[in-house]
Amino acid sequence: MSMTSDHPVATPELDRVERARIDESTRIPVLLFFGSAVFWLLVGTLFALLASFKMNAPHFLDQWGWLTFGRVRPAHLNAVAYGWAAPAGIGVALWLMARLCRVPLMHSKLLISAAIFWNIGILLGIFGILSGDGRSIEWLEFPNYASLMLFVAFGLIAVWAVIMFRFRQPGHVYVSQWYLLAAFIWFPWLYSTANILLNFEPIQGGAQGAVNWWYGHNALGLWFTPIGLAAAYYFIPKVLGRPIHSYYLSILGFWSLALFYSWNGMHHLIGGPFPAWMVSASVVASVMMFIPVITTAINHHMTVRGNFHALKWSPTLRFTVFGAMCYTLSSVQGIFMAVPSLNKVTHFTHYTVGHAHLGLYAFFTMIMFGAMYYITPRVVGWEWPSARLIRWHFWLVAIGIGVMVVALTIGGVLQGLALLDPGVTFMASLDYTKPWLLLRSGSGILLTAGHIVFAVSFTLLLLKAGSKRTEPTLFGSDQGRKPEALVP
Amino acid sequence: MNSIIYILLAAGLVFFGGSTLAAFYWAAKTGQFRNLEDGSRSIFDGDEPVGAATDSFADKRPDRPLRRAVSGGSLT
Repeated sequence: MSMTSDHPVATPELDRVERARIDESTRIPVLLFFGSAVFWLLVGTLFALLASFKMNAPHFLDQWGWLTFGRVRPAHLNAVAYGWAAPAGIGVALWLMARLCRVPLMHSKLLISAAIFWNIGILLGIFGILSGDGRSIEWLEFPNYASLMLFVAFGLIAVWAVIMFRFRQPGHVYVSQWYLLAAFIWFPWLYSTANILLNFEPIQGGAQGAVNWWYGHNALGLWFTPIGLAAAYYFIPKVLGRPIHSYYLSILGFWSLALFYSWNGMHHLIGGPFPAWMVSASVVASVMMFIPVITTAINHHMTVRGNFHALKWSPTLRFTVFGAMCYTLSSVQGIFMAVPSLNKVTHFTHYTVGHAHLGLYAFFTMIMFGAMYYITPRVVGWEWPSARLIRWHFWLVAIGIGVMVVALTIGGVLQGLALLDPGVTFMASLDYTKPWLLLRSGSGILLTAGHIVFAVSFTLLLLKAGSKRTEPTLFGSDQGRKPEALVP
Repeated sequence: MNSIIYILLAAGLVFFGGSTLAAFYWAAKTGQFRNLEDGSRSIFDGDEPVGAATDSFADKRPDRPLRRAVSGGSLT
């Protein structure tokens, strides 16, 4: 309670009421973002399955232009990245901001308008892509009328974040808050700059590629990664009741990420028609990412160390630790993929697709699931309906994403080696990938099942199915007040 | 039209680079990099103190006590 020392009379009971009040104040905006995220997760998963099946059977459902691979695949990417991952992250970030600022959420109308703009934008964007109106620029396929909506939403949220930070309770700025503020302020700038330079007033020639990957990589590095790490840095210590192993390292990790990550994008263009210094600088910065990645990995591991049995009883910790481990994995993999001699094999193969899913799913999405398991009952004031559904959700998606990443990694390496071999024809290089793509579709079915289980669980909670609980915090209602459970 | 956009973008670059530096300066000046031990505890309060687990399956409670921090976090 060191940080609430400006309330010298603070008692556990006052702290509990205050926390419950802050949680409750976030209810409508957080649930709007969570609810729409879950909806778009299901839509995006459907597109993913369709796109994956088309890899196995190219003529599957190709009689309608709307459902051809060239439209379904970007519809999948945009539905899961902007429809699911971003709003889930925003929901988590709003709740964390209120808790870390230690004030009830203010100006919820800003956020409610943002959620409405956001969903109209996604709807228009997905419709635009399917009707053939998409832009063939990876990560920015949404037509201009849709991306404008998203920008307005991002802008409103950024303004809200600054207001919240301005009116926070005095005290230390926790590391998660640094990550969140950075993400909220960086991303609208990133998104608008890339859209202006590529879609509204397009620049000419090869520079388009540079802007494209400056954006594509930074969307991961300066938006999804900070939000995912903010959540991990909050939930791992909070669930275990144990401060971060080395707070110094966590701060070092944040500032080194801020310094190095934005340079990384050009490593997507190794071998492309770009000045060598651009690509080289980017490869060097990618290798420097070892610093923030290793600091984070050490910190998360050492915080959980000795308490891995807690993964058995805490749903939040289970998803979050899985995600945090995959952050290390995918980041280290990404660093090696930036090394030109290895990039030569993996570039333009399914290996890259596996890497993208390791990052955005196994890391980011799993942490979001963990955070939602913690946050939703606290803002609704109701317990999750069934522990069994949560366990099913975890094992279906954990096995699903594991199989997918392994299949795409092996298939991708085989494909890459075949592509480099002048004795193998292009068509033959594709044959190597076939069994692995079949396995990928299988893993996609597991993931779909997991998402349906999660959606059912989430909907039942919103409908307040199951028995009523009166405690303001639910999962923790028993242990939250039992510090004596910890032996000295 | 184009040149206005480029000027705006360049101004954005300066503004965002500058704001990151300013944030770093502000953090150093206001003591955010001091008393890191206290900082790491700012997410706990009297009701959910260091040492209290705050999440578990409804049907499954911790079967053995949590272990204290191995280092750095001398729990008092």
